[in-house]
This record gives sequence, C-alpha cells and structure tokens, in this order.
Amino acid sequence: MLPTDGDGVPDAAGIRDEVVEALVMFVRALRRAGVDVPANAGVVGAQALVEVGFDDEDRARAALRAALVTRAEGVETFDRLFGEFWRRLAAHLDGDANDALDDAPDGALAPLGAESAPSDEAAETAAAEMEPGDDWNDGDLPLVRSAIEPGASDGQETDSTTATYSPSGRPETVTVDVGALIDDDPLDAAVDRLVGSLASLRGRRWRRAGSGERADPRRALRQSVATGGTVASLPERARRETAVQVAVLADVSQSVLDVVDRGFLLRFLRTLTARVRRSRVFFFDSDVRDVTTAFDEPTTADAVRALERAETSWGGGTRIGHAVETVRREHSEAIDRRTVALIVSDGLEMGDVAGLEREMTWLASRSRGVLWLNPLAANPEYEPTPAGMAAALQAVNGLFAFIDSRDILEIARQLEQYGIGGRIGLEYDPRRRQKTTRPDTKTKP
Amino acid sequence: MTDEPSATAGRDTTESTGFDDVSEDELRAAFEATDYVADDDIVTTVLLALRLGRPLLVEGEPGAGKTELAKVLATGFDTELIRLQCYEGLAAENALYEWNYTKQLLAVQADERGVDDPDASVFDEEYLLERPLLQVLSAGGDRPPVLLIDEVDRADEEFEALLLEVLSDFQVSIPEFGTVEAETQPVVIITSNRTRALSDALKRRCLFLHVEPPSFEKEKSIVERKVPELDGAIATELCAVTQRLRQEPLRKQPGVAETLDWARAIAQLRADDGTGPLSPAEIEHTIGCLLKEVDDVERIDEAMLETLTEAAQRARGNE
Repeated sequence: MLPTDGDGVPDAAGIRDEVVEALVMFVRALRRAGVDVPANAGVVGAQALVEVGFDDEDRARAALRAALVTRAEGVETFDRLFGEFWRRLAAHLDGDANDALDDAPDGALAPLGAESAPSDEAAETAAAEMEPGDDWNDGDLPLVRSAIEPGASDGQETDSTTATYSPSGRPETVTVDVGALIDDDPLDAAVDRLVGSLASLRGRRWRRAGSGERADPRRALRQSVATGGTVASLPERARRETAVQVAVLADVSQSVLDVVDRGFLLRFLRTLTARVRRSRVFFFDSDVRDVTTAFDEPTTADAVRALERAETSWGGGTRIGHAVETVRREHSEAIDRRTVALIVSDGLEMGDVAGLEREMTWLASRSRGVLWLNPLAANPEYEPTPAGMAAALQAVNGLFAFIDSRDILEIARQLEQYGIGGRIGLEYDPRRRQKTTRPDTKTKP
Repeated sequence: MTDEPSATAGRDTTESTGFDDVSEDELRAAFEATDYVADDDIVTTVLLALRLGRPLLVEGEPGAGKTELAKVLATGFDTELIRLQCYEGLAAENALYEWNYTKQLLAVQADERGVDDPDASVFDEEYLLERPLLQVLSAGGDRPPVLLIDEVDRADEEFEALLLEVLSDFQVSIPEFGTVEAETQPVVIITSNRTRALSDALKRRCLFLHVEPPSFEKEKSIVERKVPELDGAIATELCAVTQRLRQEPLRKQPGVAETLDWARAIAQLRADDGTGPLSPAEIEHTIGCLLKEVDDVERIDEAMLETLTEAAQRARGNE
C-alpha cells in the first residue's frame, strides 16, 4: 500500500483517478446486483474512503457499506462484492500507483468527492494515435462477422447482422476444414504483439538499470557514504519484467461458434500457445476439456487433427461458472499469480450466475489478471448487459472484442500503453468511440 | 437566531460539525465510558458520521441498541441529547415550533405588544415554543447536541419531507420571525425499525448502519458490563439461551434490551441464591422478560425448555 499520513490517507495525488474509477465500477456492480445505491453514493463513498484511509480493509468495508448501502437486504451483496473491489483497488495502490507516487510533486490527495472525467481521455488518446487505415471501415462500422455467414471469411463485411445462437446446443466433434487453415500473417503479427505486451508487463520489484526510467535514491545514498556524502553519480532503476503465463478458457459453445470464425479461434490459440513460455488451454461448453497438448502441435492443422483424434467435442451449452469452477477444482495449478487468464466467451451464461460471479472472483484473485475476449463485443452497439457478462465484469481487468486480428492488436495496444491493471477494455477502444464521433456516420432521421 | 431570513441554500454539509476532529480513540473511549459494546463496524460508521457531518440512519430489530447509540454519544461527549420520538400523525408544530398563543393574547390584551409593530411584536423569541428540531438548531455551546429522531418509520411520509430541509441545510424558516440556522451542525441519529420503507431522498442524505443481533460473545460482554451483579457463568447461560431462542421462528425475536431485562431479573431473583446453573423452571418463570408475544411464550413447552437448558449447560461447560 501507499505511504500514508497519520490518518491513513494516501499521500499521492496520482491515485485519485484509480480510486474514483474503482469506486465507480464497484457502485455499478452493486447496482447491477440489485443493491439500492443512492445517486450521490459514489461521492459520499469517496469522502468516506478518504476519511478512513486505505490501510485497513475492514475499516474501508464498513465505511463504504455506510455510504453505499441503504437497505439491510443489500448488506450481504455488498460484502460479497467488496472483496473484488478491494483487490482491484489494492492492485492499483500497490502497483501502478507507485509510479504516480514518484511523480506526484505535492503529495496531496485531491478531493475525491469532486467530479472527474478520467475515462474518456484514454480513448481520445488512442483515437488520435490510430493510423488512417486502422479504422474498421470507411463506411458502416462492422457488426459481428460470423464464420457461418457467406463472405465473412474472405474479409467482406456484413451489415446489420444479428448473431444467432443456440443457448443449449448439442456437442459435436471438432471438425474444421484443414485446407482452409492457411497462414495468416496479420494474426501472427497481432499475437506476437499481444504476447510481447503481456511479457513486458512490469512487476512490482525494481531492478538496477544503466538507463532506467527512475533515479534510485536509496542506492545513491548508499553509494554516497563512500564519497563522504557527495553523490558522485545518479544510479537509475527500472521495473522488472516478469515472465507471464497464459491460461485460456475458450468457450466453444454453439452460441460462440455461431459468431466466431472457428479457424480464427483455433489459429489464435495455436499461435498464442506457441509464443508464450507456458500456457494452458481449456475448451468449455457444458463440460470442460483440457486441450493444451493438442495446441502443442507444430501447426494449426496438426492441432485440429489432434483435437479430432482426441474426439474433442464442441458446440454444447454455455456454463462459464462451471468451467472456472472445474479449473479451480481440477486444474488449480494452471492459474497462479503470474498467469494471465484469457476467457474467450460471449458471456451468455446458461448456468448459475451467482456461481459464475463467485468463481470469477476466485479467478481474479488467483491470477495476474483476467482479460475477457467477447466475439459479440465486436459489434459497436454491444453492451455487457447479459446477466452472466454483467456478473463476471466486476472481476475482469478488461473486456475486449474478439473477432479478428485487429481486435488482438487493439488488446496489445492497450496493454502496452496502460498495463493490465490500467484503464483498459472495450470502453477505451477508439474504434467504438469513432462510431459515435465520425461525422459521416449515418443515422436515422 | 437571526433576525432576518438568510439565504443558505448552498451550504456545504461538510462544514464544521463540532465533532469533525473526533479521533477513533476518543470515540472508543466514549463508548467504553458508557459501557456500550461497539464492534469495529459501528465505530467506523459512527466516526464517519461525526467527521462528515452526515446524519446516521440506524436500522435493526427493536432492542438492538439503536436508541442507546444516540444516548451513549451524548453522554460520552458530554453534550445534550434532544430526542424526537416519532409517531403517526407527528406534525411540524410538534417537531419544530409553536407560538405560545395564550401568552401572545395576554400580551396584546395588556397592550404590551402588538402584531404589526416590529419593535414590540408578539412574534418574538419570547413567545416561541421550541420543539426538538428547533431546540437543536438554536442550541449553543462548544459541542452541538445529539439529535435522536427515534423510530422515524412510525411518522408519516410528509414528516420525512420536513426532515429533508432540516437535515440538508440545518436551518428552518419561520415566516413571522426569520431563519434559524445551527451554528454548528448537530449529530443526528435517526433510528428505524423498518416497519415501512423510508424515502430515497432521506436515505440519500444519511449514512447507513444496520445493527445485527449481537453474537454470543458480544452479547455476553454487554450483559457483563450492564449487569455486573450477575455471576459470569449465569450470564453465559443467559446469552446461550437467548441465542438459541433467536433460531426459533418467533413473532418477535428477543433483542439485547430483552436480554438485559432478563439478566437483571435473574440477578434480582438470585440475590441470595448462589451461582448454580439455570433450571428449566427458572427459565420458564422468567421467560416473559425475553418473549413479549403470547404466541411466542406458548411455544416454550417442555421440549423447548429442555433444549434451552441444554444450550445453557453446554455454554457453561465451554466456559
């Protein structure tokens, strides 16, 4: 945690936005869960947090409960969701906020109750950085492109497509036309960049660096002892880059297979597996299958053949909570603090939503971070309102679109720029923002 | 008081409350001095209410210690407790102020005062009968008083609207007299037994504290503090019985207040009778201290008495 003054108030202006954002997300999660949270509760909650400080989880819980909850019925839900809020907040304060602390010139926490609009800046910055050809289309923005739609696979865009899916589905053996699995350079490049962005995630520890990003005052002081208190040279330091492992939980239920290019999904998994140091891949629909070994094959075609040989099935119903629970119970070694969990799913949970929420909280607390890749989110009108998606969102570091290599590039770009604990996700995707700001966007009169 | 109405609509509710410098240690000391057993959640929430200057809405079952909280704050910080007991039909004149019509009439008849003369009007402070809300606003002193608005759910919704003005700006406008504004914000404790839902507007202005029935350990600690004359082992048995009773589907669960009543009753009855274990007959004869509904009392048959006695003995054995 950050250094604090006598009252436990963080002594850093730079964390203000992070605290506000975590609080806003928490308030949203409470409202989605049915808790009656007053309109001004976020401001009061921020004031309460500043009063009690950030050192003691129990004090913070009591303070926020007093500020955000107005009915006894909401207390249990609040307590259930608070853990994830605190984990997210602690991650901000422990990790990225240290940077802000070093940069903070005056060391005072700005009033949290005041209005702030931090969220749009990132998207604006990203939009400004986009290359001219990076936008989705010159005309209408893309909607969900499905492998079952004619023309989707050869790059043609479709208009106003509504994804169709089967909520339950019937499992079938994995079959893909191997001949269609041609090399895809853009995807390879995108996955390379994604892996690079994950592998370049900085840990909390510092390392000595010849030309680091920060001065190392402690080392300078130690060295100055030998020169009678004179600092002869200013040593520098940089964050250690930690090795990142990846665990992919790929939803292969019928509802996902209906909207995602199966070849793209398999190529992505194969390329990702080949490029990270350690990976685990699980297929899930209504059951969970560990298919890691299949993706150890040298090519995607070989991986598909391996899946076929193993009679791996897909196309069942969607039970995301059950899948995470199974991983927790039977493959818990697949997830640790160095593992980035990637969930490829449309979030259309057909199982117990409360169970999904519980399991996602476990996954978030156990892993380095959770990224949710949602094929449906490629639609610029998409909002994460389905019950399962909404329940899981509070434990997710970032929700992203997942339909082609450009989505992978966008994930990588955000990770490179803001890190996995930063403000990343669909809301910061400039392509969505462009949709609302483009002057030539056609709207109905 | 001010002679002329003043515009204070934009007042910041976080300005000085007279309690905004209270530390957690001071608050704990106040609770300790008044034998109020408060867990960390209560301490943190009350501390926030004091520092932020926001009213504290306390909900919980009857007898959970909601009213006691306000009394303890007033006693612990050596300030005045002003209580407004709410009831159906409570009107502004009962909560805010009334003019002393008899005195006004006599003054006019004696030609001492008039109605229109600003220098000798009967609409003066002398003829004003302050009710609890106005008493709080016009109170002076270093430490503002503690205002207890008790059982606000018994009052009508119209009364909540009246409270909104007072709780938002801590001022009230008297047409014939002017605006009365609190010099320092009072501490406001509002209690509710949840017999009806309160308005969102009122809840939005308050911090919220839900007082749960106490755990066995906390209740035992309360009994030992409040009824020191009772033997510790018997206090343990009493609390075990109460906790066991709360598991039953009673029409009215016994609160801490009932436990204390029962403890005092047992202490009186056992004044000369040692520290032996509670007997079924003793429980049966005094169960009326705990259960206040006929239906609940009738549930205490022999089997239930045996269950309660076993719970008491088990707790004593675990001591």
